[in-house]
Amino acid sequence: MSATPMLEIKGLGKRFPARAGREPPPWIIQDMSFSVGPGELLTIVGPSGAGKSTLLNIVAQIETASAGEIAFDGERIVSPEQKALHPGLNRRIGYVTQDDNLLPWRTTIDNVLFPREVQGTLDDGARARAAELISAVGLSGFERYYPHELSGGMRKRAALIRTLVYDPPMILMDEPFAAVDAQTRTQLQEDLLRLWSLKRKTIIFVTHDITEAIALGDRALVLTQRPARIAAEHPIPIPRPRNVKDIFAMPGFAAIYERIRADVQ
Amino acid sequence: MRGRVWFDRLIVLLVLLGLWQAGSMVLGNYWLSTPWNTVTRFFASLFNGELFFHGGYTVTEALAGCVIGGVPAVLLPFLLRRQPIVVAILDPFMVGGYGAPKLAFAPLFILWFGIGIESKIALVAAVVFFIVYFSTLSGVRALDTRLVQMAQVVGASERQVGRHIVFPGAVPAIFAGFRIALPYAIGGAVIAELISSNRGLGYLVQTGAMNFDTTQVFVAILAATLVVHAFIAVVDLGERLLLRWRPQGAALLVDHGT
Repeated sequence: MSATPMLEIKGLGKRFPARAGREPPPWIIQDMSFSVGPGELLTIVGPSGAGKSTLLNIVAQIETASAGEIAFDGERIVSPEQKALHPGLNRRIGYVTQDDNLLPWRTTIDNVLFPREVQGTLDDGARARAAELISAVGLSGFERYYPHELSGGMRKRAALIRTLVYDPPMILMDEPFAAVDAQTRTQLQEDLLRLWSLKRKTIIFVTHDITEAIALGDRALVLTQRPARIAAEHPIPIPRPRNVKDIFAMPGFAAIYERIRADVQ
Repeated sequence: MRGRVWFDRLIVLLVLLGLWQAGSMVLGNYWLSTPWNTVTRFFASLFNGELFFHGGYTVTEALAGCVIGGVPAVLLPFLLRRQPIVVAILDPFMVGGYGAPKLAFAPLFILWFGIGIESKIALVAAVVFFIVYFSTLSGVRALDTRLVQMAQVVGASERQVGRHIVFPGAVPAIFAGFRIALPYAIGGAVIAELISSNRGLGYLVQTGAMNFDTTQVFVAILAATLVVHAFIAVVDLGERLLLRWRPQGAALLVDHGT
């Protein structure tokens, strides 16, 4: 990669603080290094409990690192000398978590506009953008519904566009589609790819599903079981635009699937 | 189903009234007034304005006490949200205040604030404060940290987290606190009036008992009970309007199209 990476992780490590009288806890992430280019969709595959969420939490700065450094667009954002966390890195890193974390007391539209409201940028432009995203993911007509009145898939879409509405240059996604049925998941993956093709954000997408990692990613990293390290790196040679529904039938799918599966422990 | 419940309730009511009537017949009207006498006197007092005169006084005390005790009880847990050490220091005193029999303070309050409305309001405020404080505190503590992290990641300040996440999340607990506190508020006002007053439902109970007029005692108790029910109905209505976002139990929607 020739250009400055959007995100560069060097020697990252994480372990929880030791308690008095006990052995130091094991490393959750150890000596992890990788980088993500601007506009790249990087998928990270790893077994459950491999520390994938912890990794994203550190990048999103809602958890501290125990070792190593992270640079964002050339600027050091995580380092051993770091004093305070800056969640979301001043709105430059968006985070779509595994739970939708919609505010139950806000309607769909107010949830989607929540970031713009707290950022003080709730203007006509924001409303227009929200309306555009809502219709892009098929939530039109549900603007005034509360989260408990929406299905799981609809809530995922609302959570996704809540992050897109303020245009952070980088978005972290932590198994956002894990808890929905297979058919809805395919639909959500297509929504994501369509939105991504319109506005090329840098995305790190974490999943335990190899098919999903192939369907979405430009490149897939495979993590080891604890402590998490990079076990392998696979460019995904399948051309875009991809047909997520029939990704199995795309040439090259079987070969890359086999190679990744061999690396996943 | 609903009709059946109402029908059975009516039967329970009739059984209770029958037992009351039987008790009254066994013990004599003098010791235990009959349901019929109570109801007729209730409506007579209602129409001649006596109940409004006394009931209004008690309701005023209860409402003023709810405001004076309830507002700081709601605010304090929010103000102390970022000061867990202060909360920990205060905790045994708050638990003590919660556990102490506040009604036993009634004579003291009358000593300090006089036999007027102030002493009753003070007692109600003391009762309401601790109930609402602990309920609000539990609501603030039950905060979903994932929602807070989400808000921080999208750029919310500490103050915005308080306003948009912590407060709305605690509203159900605040409502629950007031719903529990309301019967105690009316009860506190009535007890304080019993001890020393020249007005209010407690005064009606007191003078009724003094004159061996058990009908008047029952009328006053019935009025206090109805006031509590009216208060709770108002709280429920407010809760329904403010908490429309909460699921009502039944599944409301299926996913179309995905």
